[in-house]
Amino acid sequence: MVMSLTTYSILVLVLVLAVCVELGDAATAVDAYRLIQYDLDGAPYGSRLAALNHFAGVAPFASGVDLSRTAVILPLRDLNFTLLHEFITGKQQLGGLLFLLPQDTDNARKDTGPIRTILSKLEHLLIHANLPYPVYFAHEDDKINEVLPDVQRGDGTGQPASATTGGLELMTHSFKLVVSTSEPKKLSSPTITNIQGWLPGLKGDGTSQLPTIAVVASYDTFGAAPELSVGSDSNGSGVVVLLEIARLFSRLYSNPNTRGRYNLLFGLTSGGPYNYDGTMKWLRNFDQRIRESIEFAICLNSVGSWDNELWLHVSKPPENVYIRQVYESLADVAKELDVTIGIKHKKINISNSRVAWEHEQFSRVRVTALTLSELSVAPELLHNTGGLSDSRDSVDDTAIQKSIKLVAESLGRHIYGYHGRNVQIFADNSSLALNPFYVKSWLDLLSQTPRVAPFLSKNDAIVSALKKELADHTDEVNVYHETIDGMFTFYDSTRSTLSIYQVTSVGFDFVMLAIIGLYLIVLFTVLVIATRGFDELLLMIRRPPTRKSKAA
Amino acid sequence: MTLFHFLNCALLTFGPHAVYYTATPLSEYDTIGTCVKAAIVYLGTALVKLICLATFLEVSDSDSFNPYQELLKALIGFIDVAGLYFALTQLTHRNISQNHKFQAVGLGWAFADSVLHRLVPLWVGARGLEFTWEYIFQGIEANADLVLNLSLAAIGSLMWLRRNKPKTLIPIIYACAGILATMPSIISYLRRALGWQPPKLVAFELSSSLVMAIISWQLFSACHRPA
Repeated sequence: MVMSLTTYSILVLVLVLAVCVELGDAATAVDAYRLIQYDLDGAPYGSRLAALNHFAGVAPFASGVDLSRTAVILPLRDLNFTLLHEFITGKQQLGGLLFLLPQDTDNARKDTGPIRTILSKLEHLLIHANLPYPVYFAHEDDKINEVLPDVQRGDGTGQPASATTGGLELMTHSFKLVVSTSEPKKLSSPTITNIQGWLPGLKGDGTSQLPTIAVVASYDTFGAAPELSVGSDSNGSGVVVLLEIARLFSRLYSNPNTRGRYNLLFGLTSGGPYNYDGTMKWLRNFDQRIRESIEFAICLNSVGSWDNELWLHVSKPPENVYIRQVYESLADVAKELDVTIGIKHKKINISNSRVAWEHEQFSRVRVTALTLSELSVAPELLHNTGGLSDSRDSVDDTAIQKSIKLVAESLGRHIYGYHGRNVQIFADNSSLALNPFYVKSWLDLLSQTPRVAPFLSKNDAIVSALKKELADHTDEVNVYHETIDGMFTFYDSTRSTLSIYQVTSVGFDFVMLAIIGLYLIVLFTVLVIATRGFDELLLMIRRPPTRKSKAA
Repeated sequence: MTLFHFLNCALLTFGPHAVYYTATPLSEYDTIGTCVKAAIVYLGTALVKLICLATFLEVSDSDSFNPYQELLKALIGFIDVAGLYFALTQLTHRNISQNHKFQAVGLGWAFADSVLHRLVPLWVGARGLEFTWEYIFQGIEANADLVLNLSLAAIGSLMWLRRNKPKTLIPIIYACAGILATMPSIISYLRRALGWQPPKLVAFELSSSLVMAIISWQLFSACHRPA
C-alpha cells in the first residue's frame, strides 16, 4: 500500500510537469517588428495587440471564411491592396497579420522602385487604421520561403485538417505563428532631445550683439515599423547637409582672420513628425536677446532625392526684405549649379495646430525663417517622415552634395559680403571643398539607425554621436531634453521574435495511437501464439483480468 | 496536442518490452528479477564504455566519418559483449531454464538501453509544439534494438552456457556474434559516411534485426535439438 502511494504521487508530479508544454525549438525563428501603436488625441491607431499564437494562412481565401483565429501572411512582392482594404475598412477581425518584406539582396536592389511605392501606400494605410490584432513586419528569408508553399497547400485558412477528412490530408501539416511577448504598455513621458551648436562670430570693437544665422534640421523619424524607420531622405539628408555645413564653417571660423561677423547656430531638433514640437520647445527656451539676434533661419527638410528643382517655403510674403535677400542669393548660386529654386508661400493659421514646415515654428515666435526642401507641397501629419519606404537607396549622394554647395555657398557669400561677385568660397579641389566621404559615411550611419523619437532614450547612441560631431565643429554644444506634446501617446514592444511551428492536428495523434495500439496487440498475439500456443491465447481472452492478477 | 504525441512515441518505444514480458512465459515464471539485474549490469557497462570513450576518443566538430575513430568505437562496443557475458554467466539467477534466461537478460538489457538512450530526448523533444517524425523513427529503432539484443543474448548463451555444440555451427555462431556486436558501428557508418536518411536507416535496422533474429533462432533450435 505504501508503494502505491509513492508511485501515485510520483505519477501526479510527472503529469503536472508534462502538461507544462514548453514551446521548445521552432523550425524557424525570425525577427519581427511590430506595427506602431499610438493614440492621437485619445483615438487609437496602429496595431493594438502584441502577443500572437495562431495558425498561419495565406491568400487566396474562400469567401466568408472566418479568419479570427488565423494569422494572415501577406508577402509584399505581390500585395493585394483590395484584400487589405477589405480587411481594414470592413473592420474584419483577424488573428494577426504578417507582412513579409523582400530580402535585402543585390538582386532586390534593382527593382526597388515598385516596392517603394507599395511600401509607402501600405504605410499610409496602416498608420491611420485601428487594428485590434497584432501586425508584424518580417524580412523574407529562405526558411520562411520554404514554409510559404506548404501553408498555401493547406485549405487557405491554415486550419489543420480534421480527423474525418481523407487519409492523405491527415499528413499535411499546418503552421502556427507564435510571438510570445507581454502586453504593450504606454510609454510614460517619452523624451525628445534637441542638440544645438553655437559658433560665435568675430566681435568687433563694439559690444553690440552680432547677428546670428541659424541652420536647423530635425533628425527623428516616424513610420509604420519603428525599428525599421531609418528615414534616409526624411530627414537623414537634412542632418547630413547640416553637419557638412557645420564642418566647412568651423574650418573658416577656426582662424580669426577668416571668421565672419555672424554667429552661426546649428540646431538638430527632434519631434519633427509631431508638428515640430521639439523645435517649438527649443525656441521657447531661448534667451530673448539671442532669439532677437537671429537674422534668419534656414530649415532643411528632405534634400536627398531631387534632380534640378528645389523649393523654398516661406510663411512671410516673398516681398519681405530678408526673404528676398536670401532667395536671391540662393537663386544666384543655383544658377551656377544649373538648378532652379522655386518659392512657395503658405500663410500660417494660428488656430490650426498643424505645423507642416519647421520654419513655421520660427515664424510663430517672430523669427524670419524658411524651409529648403525637394517637396513642393506641405506634407500631411505623419507623412513623409522617413518610414518603411525611405531607405538608403532612396537618397542620391549627388543631390545632397548639390544641396550642400547651394546652402554653404550662399550663406558664405552673405556672411562675407560677396553678393554678386563671382567668387567661389567652397570651390572644388580647394581646402574648403565639400568632403563626399564624410557625407557618405554619415548617410550610411543614419540609414542604419532607426530614430523614432519616443523610442530613443536620453543617451541613445545616435544622440551622443550627433552631439559629439557638433561639438567637434562648434564652440559650444547644448543638449535639451523635453517631453512630447500630450496629443500623442506611444506604446512599447516594437520588436520580438516570431517562431513558426509545424503542428499536426489532434486527429493525426489519434490515428497514430490507433496504429501503435494495433501494433502492440498484434505483437502480443503473435508472441503468445509463438511461445505458449494458441490455446493459451484463447484461455486468456476468455478470462483476462483474474488470470493476470494470479500471475502477479 | 503535444503531450499526446509524447505518449504515442513513449508507447511505441517502451510498449514492446512490456508486451514481450507479459506475452511470453517470462511473466509466468516471474523472471522480473533477472531483467532488473541485467538492466543494472547494462548501466555498469554503459559507465565503463563512457569512461573509455572519454579517454580514448577525440571530439570532432564535423559529423563526418573518421575510420580510425569508428574502429575505436567498435572496439569499445565489445565491452557491451563483455557486459552481456557477465550478466549471463556470473550472476546467480533463480532456477530458470536456459531458454528463459537469455530472453530475460536480453529484455532487461534492451529495456535499459532504450530508457538510457531514448527517454530524455523524448521527454525534451516530443512535448514541443513543433512536429517531426524523428521520435516515431526513434520508437521503431527501439523495436529493432529489442530484437537485436534478444538475438545477441541468444547467441551469447549459446557461446558461454552451452557446452556441447555441433562442431560445424561454432564458426557461424561466432560470426553472428561478431555481426551483432558491430551492428551499432555499421549503422553509424551508414548514417555518416553514406548519408542515409532516417526512413531508409530505420528500414535497414528493422530488416537486419529480423534477419539476424531468424538466423539466431535457427542456430538456437539447432543446438538444442536432442542428439
